[in-house]
Amino acid sequence: MAVLNRKLLRDLRGSRGVLLTVVVIISAGTGSFISMGSAQRILIASQRAYYDRCRFADFWVDVKKAPLSVVERLAELRGVAEIQPRVVFDVILDVAGVSQPLTGRLISTPARGFEDTINGIHLVRGSGFSDDRKEEIILGESFARAHGLQPGDRVGLILNRRRQSFIIVGTAISPEYVYAVRGQGDITPDPEHFGILYIKERYARELLDFQDACNQIVGRVVPGTGTDVDAILERIDRVLDPYGVLALTPRKRQASNRFLSDEIKGLGVSAVIMPAIFLLVAALVLNVVMSRLAERQRTIIGTLKALGCGDWQVLGHFLGFGLVVGVLGGLGGIVVGVALARGLVGMFKLFYQFPSYLFELYPRLFLLGMTISVACAVVGTAKGVWKILRLHPAEAMRPRPPGRGSAMFLERFPAIWRRLGFRTHIALRSLARNPGRTFTGVISCALAASIVLTALIMRDSIWFMGEFQFDHVSHSDVDIGMRDERSFAAVREAGFLPGVDYAEPLLGLVCDVRHGSRARRMSVTGLSPRHRLLTPMQRDLKPMAVPDDGLVVSRKLAEILAVRVGDRLELTPVRGRRETVAVPVRSVVDSFLGLECYADHRYLSRLVGEAEAVNSVQMLVDPLRLDDLYAALKQLPNAQGVSVRANAKANIQKTLIRSISFSLSVLIGSAGVIALGSMLNASLIEIADRTCDIASFRVLGYAPGPIASIFFRQSLVILLLGMGLALPISYALVHVLASAYDTELFRLPIVIRPMTVVASGVLMSAFALASQAIVYRQIRTLDWLEGIKIKE
Amino acid sequence: MTNVQPLIRIQRASRIFRMGEVEVPALADVDLDISGGELMVILGPSGSGKSTLLNLIGGMDRPSAGHVFYGGVDLSQADDDALTRYRREKVGFVFQFYNLVPTLTAYENVQVATELARDPLEPAEALAMVGMGERAGHFPAQLSGGEQQRVAIARALAKRPELVLADEPTGALDLTAARMVLSTLQDLNRSRNLTVLIITHNPSIGEIADRTVRLVSGRVAELHINEKPIPAMEVEW
Repeated sequence: MAVLNRKLLRDLRGSRGVLLTVVVIISAGTGSFISMGSAQRILIASQRAYYDRCRFADFWVDVKKAPLSVVERLAELRGVAEIQPRVVFDVILDVAGVSQPLTGRLISTPARGFEDTINGIHLVRGSGFSDDRKEEIILGESFARAHGLQPGDRVGLILNRRRQSFIIVGTAISPEYVYAVRGQGDITPDPEHFGILYIKERYARELLDFQDACNQIVGRVVPGTGTDVDAILERIDRVLDPYGVLALTPRKRQASNRFLSDEIKGLGVSAVIMPAIFLLVAALVLNVVMSRLAERQRTIIGTLKALGCGDWQVLGHFLGFGLVVGVLGGLGGIVVGVALARGLVGMFKLFYQFPSYLFELYPRLFLLGMTISVACAVVGTAKGVWKILRLHPAEAMRPRPPGRGSAMFLERFPAIWRRLGFRTHIALRSLARNPGRTFTGVISCALAASIVLTALIMRDSIWFMGEFQFDHVSHSDVDIGMRDERSFAAVREAGFLPGVDYAEPLLGLVCDVRHGSRARRMSVTGLSPRHRLLTPMQRDLKPMAVPDDGLVVSRKLAEILAVRVGDRLELTPVRGRRETVAVPVRSVVDSFLGLECYADHRYLSRLVGEAEAVNSVQMLVDPLRLDDLYAALKQLPNAQGVSVRANAKANIQKTLIRSISFSLSVLIGSAGVIALGSMLNASLIEIADRTCDIASFRVLGYAPGPIASIFFRQSLVILLLGMGLALPISYALVHVLASAYDTELFRLPIVIRPMTVVASGVLMSAFALASQAIVYRQIRTLDWLEGIKIKE
Repeated sequence: MTNVQPLIRIQRASRIFRMGEVEVPALADVDLDISGGELMVILGPSGSGKSTLLNLIGGMDRPSAGHVFYGGVDLSQADDDALTRYRREKVGFVFQFYNLVPTLTAYENVQVATELARDPLEPAEALAMVGMGERAGHFPAQLSGGEQQRVAIARALAKRPELVLADEPTGALDLTAARMVLSTLQDLNRSRNLTVLIITHNPSIGEIADRTVRLVSGRVAELHINEKPIPAMEVEW
């Protein structure tokens, strides 16, 4: 009926305040759906295009040193499409103007056609290798930018006991290092201290003494379903077993790909959870708004039905409200979603290096977002008006039966009740007599508060993770990684380096660690008996000393291998004496980065029949002599990597702050929309319903402030109840998120600090106060004189 | 009265309202026949069951017991869709407080009814019939009580109903406006042979009717035939 459409438009205009709050909430929900859905699709599309174009490998095999003649036979294995041997080493970099020795990953690559090899590199700047010079490198783009390096500049590599100068002929990115982390235990890229370098293959072999040999094989499998990469790797392991296979990595476990895939998965989860929360609140709030609207139009509904309008016609009219709200919310959501998606992609660019981000608008996503928005609004509306629509016309035209007028629960305690004052009485009775409205307010508040609290808890958890690792587990100032094992003399030599106050050895031994049918190939870390600089720790910061015999394993590793304290693990080193030994698990410790397994250094050496050897040294350094130490480290012949704990900690915190800040802002903003929107909505409805009461107060002589305090009390009760409910909701949410982030690469500890709860309460209070400011303004500008006129 | 068979037959109709644990009998065993083209006034004090009886006749409610026939069709057995059709096609309502949609003009309020009916009057024509043609573009808030009630009558008429039910149509009006409204209803009854039922607590209004029915405590206490109905403009109270 066209005339009812006109009524609809005019009613919408009359209720624009309350409906606008719902539109905003729906926009936020739809916007979050569209933004995260778009961001996910953009990442997937960019990843897919990049991987396809640059022929991203399906597997990596790290081996001590394997002859090319053997490696080439791998291409004939069933399922293998092609393989490519390479030489990969971490080296010390000497960059002009930087005193600290930096770490570079040297990767051999063909001089020509490097774009078309497996893991082809994408040249960003420069021209690539020339024919007339050997000492040329293509530098990783992020490292180059971090140090202001460009083609034509020089960088020093410490190789074979001397510093060799290389000219940068280009900068590049690679699908292997979209998220450029160094290795296990690193969760953030560190372009200031770690870079990728590509060197001509022939020269790399010559320089690193790998003629006719390689230490890494990358490969691609035959495309199509049914190709079992793990089975292929097992076959490769058997072939290369005599040469010491250090690691077998399928694509799904490759660090960069893993982080990227987890990000994509996380976006998918968020694209469901966040919008669901918003749209649930929107539906609840709209339900309240529309049932109030229907109640106020009760007589009109009865009249329309008396005139002969069917239930469905009248329902259709009211659903028009929902439709308009849903469409407006959907349109707003599209605008918000596209803007947020851009913001997300901008943030991704800080961490994920693609040649280009395939930023697109996804009309299907918009349509789905709009559909969800309209559906939510229509459901909320239908639920709100259905009860009144079902009334007979005669009943609908009768005045609504008076609401419950009996005493509320608290009134049974007069000693308490009397102290509360009449304004609080009004507020509490209003809440008790409108249970639907109160329920909606409390739930909305609880959801908003739980978003804030969860976001803050996640921030604390990430911070704790960094502190745990770098303040409690690691105590060294500088760590040196060595290319080959050395004897304990290396520790003594390290002690003599300038500025070194104390040095401790570490032995990292790559072993197959097995328990029944479960196994992992990983590095077992041997610590000295009186280890001080690396302390396995429990979550409650209780240090665990490494026993004289047996292993200390991290909780995640224990879970993967299904071991408990007292069980025995089978250790099989991949090099040297490769006999399997059964070793007891003596304790389980907490670790949030990678998988850890510790043993006494000498015990480990004995187990595997090695002479006591070290391949890493941890050091305490006089901070005033750091530069002296750095200069000396650049001369060390066997060093392949230097790690400075302070830099690693600062990098993680700085990187995570950047990503957390954006996420936190969005989440807190979202919570604000929900809290402000729902509280304001409830208050505006109350004001409209109680205009007569407000007018009476004004006639009596009350100023707007004391009147507004009644509504403030109501909001306060809702806020407190909501905050109380938010605690268990947040607890559950945090556990859900923590389990989503429970991977081999890292785990999120759950850290709930009392001050965090207080902070979330303060934020929620700020939202409540903002809504009350608007309420106060409404009361102050209300035409109360009109309100006291008796209307029929 | 022109029809031999009653247009409306009410047979032992009762209506009980349940308010929580309390049962309120609004009507008890009412028997009443109403002929087509009749102008009937149903009198009674507040709570006597007048509005309830009107609602049953108008298909806005169903009796708890008994039957209500309209044109031989038992409304008490009709489902919601059938009652909706009945109200749409046969009945025009006029309410005490007009029940106009505040966000629609006078013209648009009448249009609400004309868009439902199969063969309605033009809204302008209906408004002109009640003398409100000039005020078609005004909102209810811009009209006096009497004017609003006339718009409500126009809305009831625009569907070309067979039956007009007026629930205290003058309850909110002064004498002058009330006379105009009653006069309109009387004219419609006379000129178009519409069956008109008016409920009121004001016995003076009964003087314009062909018959009056007095209800007391939900029962028919008296049925009176008015030999000489007076013109509505002469009603005094």
